[in-house]
Amino acid sequence: MAPSESVGTTAETGLPRGTPAPGCVLDRDLANELWRDCGAAEWGLTHDEFDQILLEAGTAQNFGRNVSAAQAAATGKQQAEFFRELRIADLVLARACAGGNERAWKRFLAVYRQPLTRAAIAIAGNETLGRDLADQLYAELYGLNLREGQRRCPLLSYRGRGSLMGWLRTTLAQRHVDHYRRTRREEPIEEIDVPAPDPPPQMPARELSLLERAIAQAVSSCEAEERYLLAAYYLDEQTLLQIARVLGVHEATVSRKLRRAKKEIRKQILKHLERSGLSRRAAEETMGADSRDVDVDLKNLLQTSQSEAFQEQAAT
Amino acid sequence: MSATSQHGFHPDAESLNAFAEQALRDRERAEVLEHLGVCARCRQVVALARGAADASTVRTAARPRKIAAARPWWNGWQVAWVPAAALAATAALAVYVHMRNVERSAEMAKLEPQAVAPSARTPGNASHEDHAESVPPASVAPAPPAPAAKQEHSRAAKQPAEEESQFVTADAPQEPGTQYSGADNQIEVMRKAQPLSSAEAQQAPSRPGSATGGPAYSQPAAAAWETEQKQAEEQRQEQADASRVRSTTLKPAPAAVRRGNQLAPPAGASTDTVSAAPPAFMPRLLPDQPAGSAGISSERPGSHPIKPIHLPSGLAVVSSTSTGAIVVAVDKAGTLFLSEDRGGTWERVKTQWTGHAVAVRQLFATNGAMQSAPAAHDGTAPGASGNVSPAPPSSVILELFNDKNQAWVSTDGRIWTSK
Repeated sequence: MAPSESVGTTAETGLPRGTPAPGCVLDRDLANELWRDCGAAEWGLTHDEFDQILLEAGTAQNFGRNVSAAQAAATGKQQAEFFRELRIADLVLARACAGGNERAWKRFLAVYRQPLTRAAIAIAGNETLGRDLADQLYAELYGLNLREGQRRCPLLSYRGRGSLMGWLRTTLAQRHVDHYRRTRREEPIEEIDVPAPDPPPQMPARELSLLERAIAQAVSSCEAEERYLLAAYYLDEQTLLQIARVLGVHEATVSRKLRRAKKEIRKQILKHLERSGLSRRAAEETMGADSRDVDVDLKNLLQTSQSEAFQEQAAT
Repeated sequence: MSATSQHGFHPDAESLNAFAEQALRDRERAEVLEHLGVCARCRQVVALARGAADASTVRTAARPRKIAAARPWWNGWQVAWVPAAALAATAALAVYVHMRNVERSAEMAKLEPQAVAPSARTPGNASHEDHAESVPPASVAPAPPAPAAKQEHSRAAKQPAEEESQFVTADAPQEPGTQYSGADNQIEVMRKAQPLSSAEAQQAPSRPGSATGGPAYSQPAAAAWETEQKQAEEQRQEQADASRVRSTTLKPAPAAVRRGNQLAPPAGASTDTVSAAPPAFMPRLLPDQPAGSAGISSERPGSHPIKPIHLPSGLAVVSSTSTGAIVVAVDKAGTLFLSEDRGGTWERVKTQWTGHAVAVRQLFATNGAMQSAPAAHDGTAPGASGNVSPAPPSSVILELFNDKNQAWVSTDGRIWTSK
């Protein structure tokens, strides 16, 4: 399948004009096939508008290619592979809405208005808060917020990976969590119960310090999935079913992985203790120390990421 | 990973949603998972979004269930309709066939008496009538009928009344095997009942399974009264087997023995004559069937044998009965004739009834109670089977029926009063 025609320059469509790479062309047959599949003609999108959206979306993500290959034009096969992984119908609708297309907005409201409100209520756990949350997101989606004098629509950040409804739900959840975290810090502390002083530890301080160090090393050496399971289960107190739905696995699988993670951590702790000079028996006795005597902040340990992927991305 | 972070160090909503929807590639998924392991905020976002999606899914799944519950109950039986409809159709067909058979049999039972009424009321025809009725409509045309039985059956249905009247008068030679096969004309039997020679008796084919009876009426009637009572008892036992009687009616009649220019009943035919009373299972033609309609003359045993009936009208006799010297007979036209000299002379009785006279019979008044001569309910013929009250009758009342089954009674045969 060879690119045949460039659709990079179209008439005024009201859509945000992207900046396609020079010489970027869209395969006509692929565009026609995607046009038929997405059903955009049902709500009034023209073929030219559709092509423009595809071209801008593909250019923005370099058709899924590496940065080093950005200079070369994407072949028809690369374009096909890229677009077939995307939710084209949702992507086109989101981009058309972001561009201010009235027909697209009518379609968006007809399809997503009520589900979005229900999702907001479910996330907030309260109908009033949920409706406020949904209205606030609508205001943002409609582009009422201005940044540097220009209308800024969050829908532009949707790139077609996953469903548009899922993206809307996740966006709602982000706003709700951010709002909750922000307002939680502002809540006054009415009473502060001074905890009773801890009794003196029964285990020598040396063993305890060895134990704390071994725990930190064992937890930090956990794999990403184990760390997520431990954090979600013990810190966030999510149920096995909730974790299973996020990971897309069965509930029993989560339980099994959790059990295996705990076993591995215990094994690693014993190994670190023995490596520190304790005998096997002494290490096991140290493992039986009262948890209140161990000064370990598991939350901090688990929240310390060994990967800098998103930090690097943020820096870039 | 190419995702741009919306909140500093966190993956954007696109990546988190794609992670939850399993839409990320392996490498991107590992990166997001690693971040989720250390980021409580993103874990919470993903958990909340996933929870909302599950709630929406449950709501969406519950809605069609509600719609399905609101659908008519028979919509869920679409598959079951097919066998149910087939079953109903089969049942309807069975009912239709049954009703049609019942209707046809009722129609035949209704039509046959009407079709043969003018002529069938002759005693000689009664045997054919009985044959026709003894065979149910479904078996009128059996698949492999016996040739003789079929022939006889068709003959019973088509034999003209003229021929039957000839049989009654015995003027013309009769077709062999037609007259003595069923309930026979006792008049004819009695008229012809002469003791057969042993040679004739051996020549004449006897009916299989029947008693080798000689002529039932070869003795003087008065002397044979007691004998006939015994024979009647025996015949009743024989007739209790309805299937036997039925098979008898379907079997070819024994050949008549030609005696001069007349046909004499074969040796076995006399037994047939005695046992030819309609069996109990046979439907009755009329609610109160007259003796003549059954083809049995209701002449009392002990009376003198009457002469062949030659009515002044020249028509065939439909029904007749006699009380000693008095003989009354109804011809084909429904005219009643009276003879006071045992059939020597006849005079026409003035019509004192309505409709068309079709039968006459006699009732025996014993101790003030009238008793029908033919014991119609037990299926035996009066006179012929001898199934009468053992007590001798004190008085005799004649009874006449018209075509509407209305009855008139008379003691002398001249004056008739409505019953």
